[in-house]
Amino acid sequence: MPVIVMASPKGGVGKSTCAVLLASEFAHMGADVTVLDCDPNKSLTRWASHGLPKGVTLHGDIGRSEIVPTIRAADGDGKIVIVDLEGLASQLVSRAISQADLVIVPMQPTALDAEIGSEALALVKEEEDALGRTIRHAVVLTKTSAAMKSRVQKELEEQLRGAGIDVIEPSLVARAAFSEIFAYGGDLTNMLKDPEMVTGGKIDKAIENARRFTEAVYERLK
Amino acid sequence: MSGSNRLSGLTARPKDTTVADVRRVDEVGEARGFLDRSPRKKPGRKPSPRTHQLHPKVFPEIGEAIAVEAERLGITQGQLIEQMWVLYQEHK
Repeated sequence: MPVIVMASPKGGVGKSTCAVLLASEFAHMGADVTVLDCDPNKSLTRWASHGLPKGVTLHGDIGRSEIVPTIRAADGDGKIVIVDLEGLASQLVSRAISQADLVIVPMQPTALDAEIGSEALALVKEEEDALGRTIRHAVVLTKTSAAMKSRVQKELEEQLRGAGIDVIEPSLVARAAFSEIFAYGGDLTNMLKDPEMVTGGKIDKAIENARRFTEAVYERLK
Repeated sequence: MSGSNRLSGLTARPKDTTVADVRRVDEVGEARGFLDRSPRKKPGRKPSPRTHQLHPKVFPEIGEAIAVEAERLGITQGQLIEQMWVLYQEHK
């Protein structure tokens, strides 16, 4: 089954959020999902400490020397593997990309995120040349406005598409539930059902956004 | 979107995982500034688990003999005392 790698040398762009949403939604579809937390901030390990959704297993503390064998071991047992990487330009990142079936580069619609995120996109291209195989990759814009597409977002999408870069639709909207899932663990459906889990936003809208995003990722894995 | 039937159609492509392939990926990454940023281990000797300090006063010739014997065995005086304690426990 496929290996999905979240990569961007910039921190705070939404790599861990994408990983959590994909892991929980693919598990909701019935997949066995293995999540590898390679981020020293351990965001996914913290999420898991509050409870994992059924069908998701997590391995943490994976460094540069363990990343390739760990992905290989997880990849071989019929699971979807999701790798959450550190927000650094490191060999851990380049090695993980080499094992990917799909690299997702999350970026907020800002010039800085686009500039730093483009380093990951360039690295994917160079690894494709070095390894002689195609590594599918796509950008997802994160923390976008729920109300309307900003001018900056429209321009960035236009520039990315103009450069031949695949941009995942829908973007991930700035939703309170996406942040608070790290405090509650589990998945968005649990948050919707449990009245004690309080978020400042609309969980149903967050679920719809996460499902449509996962569907778009699924289409890229076929 | 539901059911695992759709997911069963998803497959992974074979990946390059030889040492040479990983080295090539490292070189490509390094050229773009993706360097080895693994945390370095703290240099120097690790702290000894022997934390208890004895303060015995012995006759000078016995103290000297203990020091010489420890040196001859290539161990510390503390380790020699530990060995003596084991023998004492066995024979008391």
